[in-house]
Amino acid sequence: MWKRQSIAAKREQRWAWLMVAPTIIGLLVLNYYPLIQTFILSFSKTKTFGAMEFNGIQNYTDMFATPEFWKATWNTVYFCILTVPVGIALALIVAILLNAKVKFKSGFRAIYFLPMVCAPAAIAMVWRWMFNGEYGIINTIINAKVNWLTNPTTAILACAIVAIWSSIGYDAVLLLSGLQNISKTYYEAARIDGAGPIKQFFSITMPMISPTLFVTLIMRMMASLKVYDLIYMMIDQTNPVLPEVQSLMYLFYREAFVAGNKGYASAIVIWTILLIGVVTIFQFIGQKKWVNYDV
Amino acid sequence: MKHTKRIIALVLACVLALALTACGKGGKSDGNLTMQIWDNSQRESMQALADAYHELNPDVTIEVQVTSWDEYWTKLEAAAGSGNLPDIFWMHTNYILLYADNGMLADVTDLYDDDTYSHYSDISIANTQGSDGRMYGIPKDKDTVCLVYNKEMFDAAGVSYPDENWTWDDLTAASQAIYDATGKYGYMAYADDQLGYWNFVYQNGGYILNDDKTAAGFDQPATIDAMKFYIGLQQNDWCPTQTYFAETAPGNAFFSEQGAMFLEGTWNLMAEMKNYPEMQGKWDVAVLPKCPDPVSGDGRATISNGLCYATSADNQDDEIIMGFLKWLGTEEAQQIHSSYGAAISGYEGTEQAWIDAFDQFDYRLNVEACIEMFDYSVQSVNDATRPNWKSKVSDELLKIYSGELGVDEGLANMNTIVNDAIAEGAE
Repeated sequence: MWKRQSIAAKREQRWAWLMVAPTIIGLLVLNYYPLIQTFILSFSKTKTFGAMEFNGIQNYTDMFATPEFWKATWNTVYFCILTVPVGIALALIVAILLNAKVKFKSGFRAIYFLPMVCAPAAIAMVWRWMFNGEYGIINTIINAKVNWLTNPTTAILACAIVAIWSSIGYDAVLLLSGLQNISKTYYEAARIDGAGPIKQFFSITMPMISPTLFVTLIMRMMASLKVYDLIYMMIDQTNPVLPEVQSLMYLFYREAFVAGNKGYASAIVIWTILLIGVVTIFQFIGQKKWVNYDV
Repeated sequence: MKHTKRIIALVLACVLALALTACGKGGKSDGNLTMQIWDNSQRESMQALADAYHELNPDVTIEVQVTSWDEYWTKLEAAAGSGNLPDIFWMHTNYILLYADNGMLADVTDLYDDDTYSHYSDISIANTQGSDGRMYGIPKDKDTVCLVYNKEMFDAAGVSYPDENWTWDDLTAASQAIYDATGKYGYMAYADDQLGYWNFVYQNGGYILNDDKTAAGFDQPATIDAMKFYIGLQQNDWCPTQTYFAETAPGNAFFSEQGAMFLEGTWNLMAEMKNYPEMQGKWDVAVLPKCPDPVSGDGRATISNGLCYATSADNQDDEIIMGFLKWLGTEEAQQIHSSYGAAISGYEGTEQAWIDAFDQFDYRLNVEACIEMFDYSVQSVNDATRPNWKSKVSDELLKIYSGELGVDEGLANMNTIVNDAIAEGAE
């Protein structure tokens, strides 16, 4: 690092800094600065129009004493449990199918990727109509009367279904890129040795795409712990099941922007960051057992 | 080649720098004003006002910007905190005390040296006042809550249409008859304050806040009676439950012909005529049914709210902005606004223009009924701490509807929530 550099090298470095500057400045201004502000805010009592005063850990003690908050934490974790394993498994299946020799392969890829291109709000609107207990198409098809969005047990399931549906395409594309990096020669060798498709999947495909799978898993996990827009669109604030479904970020929204408690809301955010951090750390520890980097 | 790249980079940098400075705001306005509103169906009438003013004052150009209701208040609060409020914006009674009492709005009490304000009703004026009794906005409009009903369903059940003699008993009897005859819902009562229980509470002689706004009224017998009546409506087969409304808004249910009646604000009638052309002629409006045996009063009430045009306290001495605001309160401007039929202007005497706007349809709604109700209208419930208790009170109401709380317990909680908020606000 401290080696003497030629003028040309220095110059190149200057240019490099200049080139990454917009991103770094953007990150600092738009991500890190607000993060620090949120942290400070979480120790403050906020009043309207930005006035605030320091009140120590009051927000946190209030928060931990509120059943609504623990319920929201559980809802968030539960939502994560519901969506991540199933979502990733389905995405993997789709990726493998898309990797096979089928007609209209690129057409299928586009179709699976399509939900990712749609605005989440639009997706939720359409699904909401489909789930409507009285007039929804889903109840018409299954010929039953399930109040999907207003029954406490099914409401979160309905949200999970939509979340899985809209994430499969993106995850599948990520996994597909991993699949395509696996050299065909492994499979040829396995076939010659007499390995069947199942054996091939567990002995070749899984170890080879485990790094991609790991990244996808981490990203999906983070995204589902931060879920907000989907639940907000699917479950109205006048919906009686809201307490059974509301995620931490939904609670944050209601505290910050509906009730105007920005300090308390910031404490919820800090808690969520910690939660995501802990989950991610465990995943990084766990990955040593199953992720294979020796290719 | 290398030069061109550098030049491009330089140009891009300049553009970026320009874009950044454009965000900052100069002191005095230069004649290009922005007007922020939340109701897209009133964009047309606001644009008409902007154009008319531009005609009178060619130096002033007003750009109308629409933001959705939820986003509007989030944005406005952030803008107010950082001193970047739009030049002119709509203010709602839910929030005016919060903004006015915190010194965010310009005082317009002495804007006129003539008797312009005497042409506005006391309620209209009250809807623009801060806690100190000064006016912080030019009255924009006024509204009432009316009963919207489906004529075909009434005909099918052989029930006569609602009129001014209707009471709560007629409302429930007609609902039952319609449900029996058609299988459709009757009156759709749902968890809402302004378009729901407030009207019933005041008709029964109860109140949500006392006159000097120092205490909640959810512990008053008249309030409790009315709340029990209103919440109990959902026990009937002819009224959908709150879970139904969580998925299907009453307006959607009504205009897809699933229910016969609901309460609607006058500001939505024009949009509903236009948005549901196939429904024209099948529905009409009536005055609210009255309470048959009120604890006090004559059993009549409807909630009347009103918006106003406001500007930031920083613009108190800005002649261009204050000039436009001043014009917005004149009869001429209010007449233009009324004539678009979206909202009834606050200026007395411009109601006819609003009524006439409904002549454009083959079927003419009985909108006179909405105007009639101003005689006994009640000012929309409001105090400086309302933003702090509004969502909490509605959460309690939902708990009552879902059966998680008994009515008495829930109402007691609401009372405590409001009183606590008032106490905290007084600190």
